[in-house]
Amino acid sequence: MKEKALQILLVEDNAGDARLLREMFSKEKPDSFELTHLLRMSDAVIHLAKGKTDIVLLDMGLPDGHGLDTVRRAHAAAPSVPLIVLTGLDDEALAAEAMKEGAQDYLIKGQIENRALPRALRHAIERHRMQSETEIIRMQQMQFKDEFLSHVSHELRSPLTAIYQFVTILLDRLAGDLNRDQGEYLEIVLKNVKQLQSMINDLLEVTRVQAGKLLIDLERTSIPDAVIYTVNTLQGAAAAKEIALRSDIEGQIPSVCADPTRLQQILVILVDNAIRFTPAGGTVSVQVRMLEEDPNFVVLKVSDSGHGISPDMTERIFERLFQSPDPALAGRKGLGLGLYICKELVTRQGGKIWATSAPGQGAVLSVTLPVFSLPNLIAPAFGGERRAQCPITLVVTEIGSETGWLSDEVRAEQSHWARDLLQQCLHSDLDVLLPKMSSTGAVELFFIVAITDDIGGEAITKRICGRLEDREHIQHPRLTYASTYRSIEAVSRKTNESTAAHLENVATKIQELINEEISSRMVRSEQ
Amino acid sequence: MSNKKILIVDDDPDMRLGLHIRLKANHYDVVFAADGMASIAEARKHMPDLIILDLGLPAGDGFSVMERLKANDSLALIPVIIVSARNRHANLERALKAGAMAFLQKPVDNAELLAVIRRALGEPAEPKKLAYLSEPNRRNLLF
Repeated sequence: MKEKALQILLVEDNAGDARLLREMFSKEKPDSFELTHLLRMSDAVIHLAKGKTDIVLLDMGLPDGHGLDTVRRAHAAAPSVPLIVLTGLDDEALAAEAMKEGAQDYLIKGQIENRALPRALRHAIERHRMQSETEIIRMQQMQFKDEFLSHVSHELRSPLTAIYQFVTILLDRLAGDLNRDQGEYLEIVLKNVKQLQSMINDLLEVTRVQAGKLLIDLERTSIPDAVIYTVNTLQGAAAAKEIALRSDIEGQIPSVCADPTRLQQILVILVDNAIRFTPAGGTVSVQVRMLEEDPNFVVLKVSDSGHGISPDMTERIFERLFQSPDPALAGRKGLGLGLYICKELVTRQGGKIWATSAPGQGAVLSVTLPVFSLPNLIAPAFGGERRAQCPITLVVTEIGSETGWLSDEVRAEQSHWARDLLQQCLHSDLDVLLPKMSSTGAVELFFIVAITDDIGGEAITKRICGRLEDREHIQHPRLTYASTYRSIEAVSRKTNESTAAHLENVATKIQELINEEISSRMVRSEQ
Repeated sequence: MSNKKILIVDDDPDMRLGLHIRLKANHYDVVFAADGMASIAEARKHMPDLIILDLGLPAGDGFSVMERLKANDSLALIPVIIVSARNRHANLERALKAGAMAFLQKPVDNAELLAVIRRALGEPAEPKKLAYLSEPNRRNLLF
């Protein structure tokens, strides 16, 4: 069977270089390859879009392209086509960079042996094919693992449910009275049932982390509230070991930009760990402060008076499935996934987590989270001097339910997809969709800060309403929606005013408008 | 005032018994179905105030039951709470779109289940005093 001709695209503007390269193919069988020669990057991109190219030979010094940019553009135009870059003698470093951007290989013009070029091409194609295959296999394995874990956890839940139901029925004396020992032993069973449940949930959470499917919804969140709630909830567990559990919050702590559910999850894992690894009669404290080194962050410290962690372990404890090797630690139950999940959650919310400890001196787990700052949030849209004087529009979108929200879940779910949809209606470099600004009220409110005027505001609201109307979500559970915009007069920047101060002023105005919008709806729902 | 009636649809007899005891103690009357077809029949027969529905059923899974419920004018208005061992994360959107009021993942915390039931039935939020089953009543339980 005749082998298909190799479709080669050569993008080279230097006629001499191009000629030399073509010569190298002269020794090959004429119908084993088909060479297309183009001089400019723009033409190459058009040709690549046709999809017939097997391999690209790309000169990095093209008239309408610059070095690495040419590689990126070529790769973007045809991600599944292998790329070999051609460079001059003194550009080897650049060529190495090109490999990082997706090039399979590089060849130095003037140093290519005669038979080397066709061979290099075939090797590049083969390598590329193998890489794609490996990637496919990797994706398949991950999917299999996800499905397996999902199936296993699903199967484990049913018998666990039965155990939980009947133990609680017994403990609630629904099947007759219990003597003290019976009650106590059943409490032990219940405790272990909850342990099992939490292990199964951790397993699932970890697969979600690895599949990149962790859901995090940022909003203005109070760390002190979350800490107080956690300390109250775990007070019983601490008391059972006669451990003193307390919170230590000093001064006015500003709100942070975080997901309140995830924050709660992190706190519970950290405090629960602290309690487990502290012997009876010890102390666990949760401290909240502003981060000294950087006032844009709040720092949470969970300290315990336990056995401590040896210095070489303080980073390893965040690894998946890591369990303390110390045999002295009784009750080290669990899968060892808690801190791994914590680290993932903290990093995804823009913070850091680390442990400080020494054996015998207890441990301190520190978490930082970014302060909720409207200026910081809108800063990306204001990038660049020229935007300082532009008009700003605040787009307000509200989603409500005719009959009232069926449940908190329905509300959260609708809010989530609305957020995704709104994100698609934006220009990511000119508009910012703010995190949730208010958790009260009958409607879900979304605020977009757009660098544009009335006309732009009109366009955005039209786009949003159009998209909302299309989605079946709206027709089905009888959601109502509306999108309006309000213009903010351009806040002229005073001479000598720093960018930061100017942003603060703008942010203050925006916040005023947002507060107005929120309260007007509160009034409406109270009427 | 008579008790509210709840239809429990689950193919696991242990689950049905456990829920029966728990719900009866909270002053609800309970009827059962163990598969998709029976669930529609029982719903029509009893017109319950609420349906607690498992997803993994024989003879038509929970989602097909929901479809049939919502397609029937008289049954469509009965609130449905899904209680399932399936992954909440993966099924929530579909469940809510199908018309369920909530998706609770097994094992469900008793307090949470009762709170959701109360909300679905439009009852006030405080828990009621439990009714302890006496001996003869317990023997009458079908499962």
